Amino acid sequence: MTKLRIVLYVAWLIVPGSLLAQTDPGVRGGAINGQAGATATGPLPLASVSGGQPQGVLQFFENGLARFQEVETVGNSANVGLGPRFNMNQCSACHAQPAVGGSGAATNPQFAAIANGIVDGSTNSMPSFITAHGPTREARFPFFTNSSGTPITSSPNGGVETIFTVSGLAGAAGCTLAQPAFALAIANNNIIYRIPTPVFGAGLVENLDDSTLLANQAAQAGNTFGIAGTFNHSGNDGTIARFGWKAQNKSLLMFAGEAYNVEMGITNELFPNERPLPGEDLAAGLAAGCLNLAGVGYPEDATNFEVTPSSNQATQNAQVPGDIVMFAEFMRLSMPPLPATSSGPGGASAFTAGQSLFKTIGCAACHTPTINSTQASAVTASLSKAAVNAFSDFEIHDMGTGLADNVAQGSAGGNQFRTAPLWGAGQRIFFLHDGRTTNLLTAIRAHASSGSEANDVIENFNELTAAQQQDILDFLRSL
Amino acid sequence: MSGAASGARVPEHTILVKGAWPSASDSGTPLPEDGRWAGGSYQNDYFGLTLRFSARWQAGLEGPPPSDSGAYTLAQIVPAERFRAGKAGHLLITAQDIFFTATRANSPLELVNFTSEHLDRSVYRVEEAPRQTLLGQRPFVRFGYQSAVAAMHWTILATEIRCHIIEFVFVSTRPQSMADLLQSMDSITLPAAAPEHDGTDGAAQPLCIRDYASAEHLLERVEPVLTEPHLNSIPVRIIIDAQGEIRHIHLLRAFADQARAITDALRQWRFKPYVMDGRPVEVETGIVFGLRARAPASSGS
Ligand code: HEC
Ligand code: HEC
Repeated sequence: MTKLRIVLYVAWLIVPGSLLAQTDPGVRGGAINGQAGATATGPLPLASVSGGQPQGVLQFFENGLARFQEVETVGNSANVGLGPRFNMNQCSACHAQPAVGGSGAATNPQFAAIANGIVDGSTNSMPSFITAHGPTREARFPFFTNSSGTPITSSPNGGVETIFTVSGLAGAAGCTLAQPAFALAIANNNIIYRIPTPVFGAGLVENLDDSTLLANQAAQAGNTFGIAGTFNHSGNDGTIARFGWKAQNKSLLMFAGEAYNVEMGITNELFPNERPLPGEDLAAGLAAGCLNLAGVGYPEDATNFEVTPSSNQATQNAQVPGDIVMFAEFMRLSMPPLPATSSGPGGASAFTAGQSLFKTIGCAACHTPTINSTQASAVTASLSKAAVNAFSDFEIHDMGTGLADNVAQGSAGGNQFRTAPLWGAGQRIFFLHDGRTTNLLTAIRAHASSGSEANDVIENFNELTAAQQQDILDFLRSL
Repeated sequence: MSGAASGARVPEHTILVKGAWPSASDSGTPLPEDGRWAGGSYQNDYFGLTLRFSARWQAGLEGPPPSDSGAYTLAQIVPAERFRAGKAGHLLITAQDIFFTATRANSPLELVNFTSEHLDRSVYRVEEAPRQTLLGQRPFVRFGYQSAVAAMHWTILATEIRCHIIEFVFVSTRPQSMADLLQSMDSITLPAAAPEHDGTDGAAQPLCIRDYASAEHLLERVEPVLTEPHLNSIPVRIIIDAQGEIRHIHLLRAFADQARAITDALRQWRFKPYVMDGRPVEVETGIVFGLRARAPASSGS
C-alpha cells in the first residue's frame, strides 16, 4: 500500500510536470492561411479582388500567381533566362509554406536541385547548410576575404552569395563558373543565412503612409520596456522602406525585380544586367561565355508587346506586363493570413489570454498588433483605409549579439532587424532571419542577448508561469 | 566598423558591422551610456549615480546603444541565479533625454503622464496615478499599474538628473518581491537634487537647455558636409564651455563618416557665452542633423 503510494507520487511528479512545461504546439492544421477555400497552390486574393473590383483585377492576380510558379530554365523552355548564378528556379519553390507566396517548406527543394536536374551535379555541389528538411536559404558573406580566403573584418561585404551556377546545364556549354567558397566561409564563420519572408498581405503593408508608421512609433515613445526603434529608408526617395528582414526594400515591384535578378539570375526592367558575385564585381565581372545564354537579349524579362489574343480582355491585358510587374500584382492583391481566433491550439480562451499577455509583457511594443490604416487605394477597395494586422511596427530594432548577422542594409546595421510580422506565424515552419529554429519558444528566447532592445520584455516573459507562456505560444500558433 | 584585419575566423557574437552608432569627441568626458558594474554595484559617472545591490541581485543583460530619440537603457537588474525560481521580479533603469525625446516631455511628470496616457487600458489597470513624491531629499514621480492576466505589477519611479529623466521600472509578479526591490532603492546614491535646469545639478554640471543651438545664441555656424545619404536622424549632444566653444560632442547615433563630418563642423561653431548671475556658465544641449527629427507627438501634460 505504502509502496504503491510512493510510485503514484513519483509518477505524479514527473507526468504533470512535463505536461505543464510550455511547448510550441507546432504548425497549425486546418484552413490554409486561416482562409476557407485557400489551397497550397491557390492562396486567396483580397475580398475586393475576388469580387472583381475593379473589373479585370482578378485576372491580374491569377496571372501573377501563375507566373510566380513558373519554372525558369537557361534557354530551353517557355521561360528562359535562369542564371548564370541562381539560388532557385521558381519564386514559389522558396515561397511555399503554407501556400505559394509563403516562407520555406518542410522539404527544401534546393536540396533536390541536383537530383531534379535543375543544377548539374558534376559542376555544382550541395553546400552543407542546405539540407533535405532544413530551411530554404540564401547565403551572404559578411566580409570580403584576402587572397588566402581570410575574412577582413574592416571590409564589409554582405551581398548575396548565389548558391548554384548554370555550368553543365543544357544551353550553358561555354559558361564555367565555380560556386562561392562556402566550406571555407563556414570554417571562418564568415557566412550568414536568410530565409524567405512570406508575401501575403504585402499590398496592405505597401500602402501604409509614412505618417501612419511615424504616428505608431510616436505612440510607443513612452513605453517602459526600454524599446526605441527607428526606420530604414529608401535610398531613392528617402521614404520609409518596409520589406525584407532589415526593411531594406521599398516596394513590391522593387523586391520582385531584385529577387528575379538575385535569386534566379533573370534580368528585368528594374535590374537589367546579369549579377556577378560581390567579389566578381570587384574584378572583371562575368565572363562573356556566361552572358546572354538564353539568346533572347537583355533584359531577359520585359514588357510583352505581343500577346495571345483572348476573348477575355482582362486575361489578354494581364499578359502584357513583364513578369516582375505581375509578381508584384500577385503579392499586392493577396489576402493576409487570418487568425484562427477560436479553432487554434488552446481554443478561444488561450487566444484571448495569449493575446493579452503578448500585449502586457511588451511584445506588442515592437510587434504592433494592428496599424490603422492604409491610404486610399487606387488599386482595389480592400487595400483602402484598411487595418493592417501584421504584428509589426516595421521599425528596425537593435537585437543584440545573439541575432546580429554583421550585414548592413540601407541604414540598418549588422545588429538591426525589422520587427518580423507575425501574421501567418501559426503555419510557418522556420523562424528568425536565418531559420535557425522551428520552435517558437526558442525564437522568443533568442530575442534576449547583450545589446538587445527586447531584453526587458524577455525577462517579463520568463517571469510568466508555464501555463501563461503556453497561452502565448498557442496564440502565436493561431495567427 | 572595427579596424584591423582579424584572424582567420570572424569572432562569434560580436557586432562588427555597425550602422549608426554612438561615439564622442573625447574619451575623458563621461557619457550617459557608460555606466559600469563593479563588485555588486552600478556606477554612472555622467549622472553621478551609484546603485548598490544585495547579493540577491545581479546585473542582467546589457541594453542597446542609445536610440536616435535619446532613450538609454542604463541597466537591467535581475535576481541572482539561485533566487531565480522564486520569480522575484526585476528592475530596468532607463534614461530619456529632454533634447531628442519623441514625447517632448520636459520633466518626469510629463514623461510619466505620456506613458500613462498611452497605456493600453485593455490589458493594464492603473494602481497608483502619477504623483509627485520625495525619496530622501529628491523629488520623484511615482506611478503604478498592473495587469490581471499576467498577475504583474509595474512601479515607476522617475526623477530628473542632468538633462535626462531617469526611470526606475520595477516589475514583479509578487507584491512582496516588489517591496524587496523597492527597498533596494535605499542603497542608491544620487547627486543632490537641484532646482530645475540651473546648471548646478550635482557637482557643477552644465546648464541643460533644449534647442539652444539657434541663431540667437550662435556667433558662427558651419554646416557639416554629409556626402553619403544614410537617411538617418543624427542626434548630437554637445557641451558648450563658458567661452562659447564646444568642448564635448556626443553623437548618440551616427555612421562613422557622419560622425567625422559633424565633429569637424561643430569644432568651428562659436556661441555667445551664456551668462547666469553675472558669470558665464557651461551649457549642454542637443542638435539633430541628417534626416530631420519627426514631428513630435503631443506632450503628456
Ligand atoms: C532562393 C529562394 C528564393 C527565391 C527563388 C525567391 N525568394 Fe523571395 N525571398 C527569399 C528570401 C531569403 C527573402 C528574405 C530576403 C531578406 O530580407 O534578406 C525573400 C523575401 C522576399 C520578399 C519580401 C517580403 C517581405 O515582406 O519581407 C518578396 C516581396 C519576395 N521575396 C518576392 C520574391 C519573388 C517575386 C520571387 C520570384 C521572382 C522570389 N521572391 C524568389 C528567398 C527567395
Ligand atoms: C525590440 C522589439 C521586439 C520585441 C520586444 C519582441 N520582438 Fe519578436 N521579433 C523582433 C524582431 C526584430 C524579430 C526578427 C529577428 C530576427 O529574425 O533576427 C522578431 C522575431 C520574432 C518571431 C519570429 C518571426 C519570424 O518571422 O521568424 C517571433 C515568433 C516573435 N518575434 C515573437 C515575439 C514575442 C512572443 C515577443 C514577446 C515575448 C516578442 N517577439 C518581442 C522584435 C521584437
